[in-house]
Amino acid sequence: MVLTSSLLLLLIAVTAVLIAVLVFRPGLTSSQGGKILAFFVLFLLPLICLGMGTNYHIERSKQTQFCLSCHEMEPYGKSLMVDDPAHLAAAHFQNHRVPAGEACFTCHTTYAMFGDIRAKMHGLRHVYIHYLRTPPAPEDIRLYDPFNNRECLHCHLGARSFEEGAVHNGDPDLLPAVKANKLSCLSSGCHEVVHNVGSLKDAKFWKGAP
Amino acid sequence: MLSTNPFERRLQFSGVLLILGLLVEAVCLFWTRPIAFVLFLCVGGLLLGFGILLFLFSLVSRDHAQP
Repeated sequence: MVLTSSLLLLLIAVTAVLIAVLVFRPGLTSSQGGKILAFFVLFLLPLICLGMGTNYHIERSKQTQFCLSCHEMEPYGKSLMVDDPAHLAAAHFQNHRVPAGEACFTCHTTYAMFGDIRAKMHGLRHVYIHYLRTPPAPEDIRLYDPFNNRECLHCHLGARSFEEGAVHNGDPDLLPAVKANKLSCLSSGCHEVVHNVGSLKDAKFWKGAP
Repeated sequence: MLSTNPFERRLQFSGVLLILGLLVEAVCLFWTRPIAFVLFLCVGGLLLGFGILLFLFSLVSRDHAQP
């Protein structure tokens, strides 16, 4: 990420300098070489900068740190450090079942066509609410749609611990219902404790890897 | 500073818009807040887009075609 931003910054600087040359000496474009230079500097390079910049911002917006930079998300970040394996989000984050650097995105994107775009559109809506509306209290934040098992199955489907787990196989109808999204993984009695930001006051926290 | 030739003047305007867009893009790179993404797209993207379009327009405009 640092290398990408340094490269992009270098490209922006070089492009800006070359554009400045053309702005101060537009007569250069009267020659054929000048016209080719103008095409590169006023068309191709800015397009490349825009494309690379968009990609950089999209990649950066997947980072856990990025999501937690809004104060509404602070308790959700805290919930990742709860010292209790029953807390689904904390157990996934602390045991690196999801990439720690992209923890929020990994579970909250949609693993379907246009899922990433949908997640970004939701993000833009969050920015709008954050700056121009009154954001809800963290404990009142709800998902747009009920959590789809597809997001869990993206990683767990076919995994031995999931397919052969004693609890999952206690009832022969359970796994097919979960796979068909008829029974939510987050159902009561299953993995119902996810972030539970309303009850973090009494929780014990893990201090993180040494 | 501004050229008297309409084609060159358009190139200069296009260049100024592009430099402003690139400046916004560079500033947004250092700003790790969600608003940076919005600024990058809405301000930087628009400036760059208009700059590029103005350059393309200057290529096909009548002033340029005339000797």
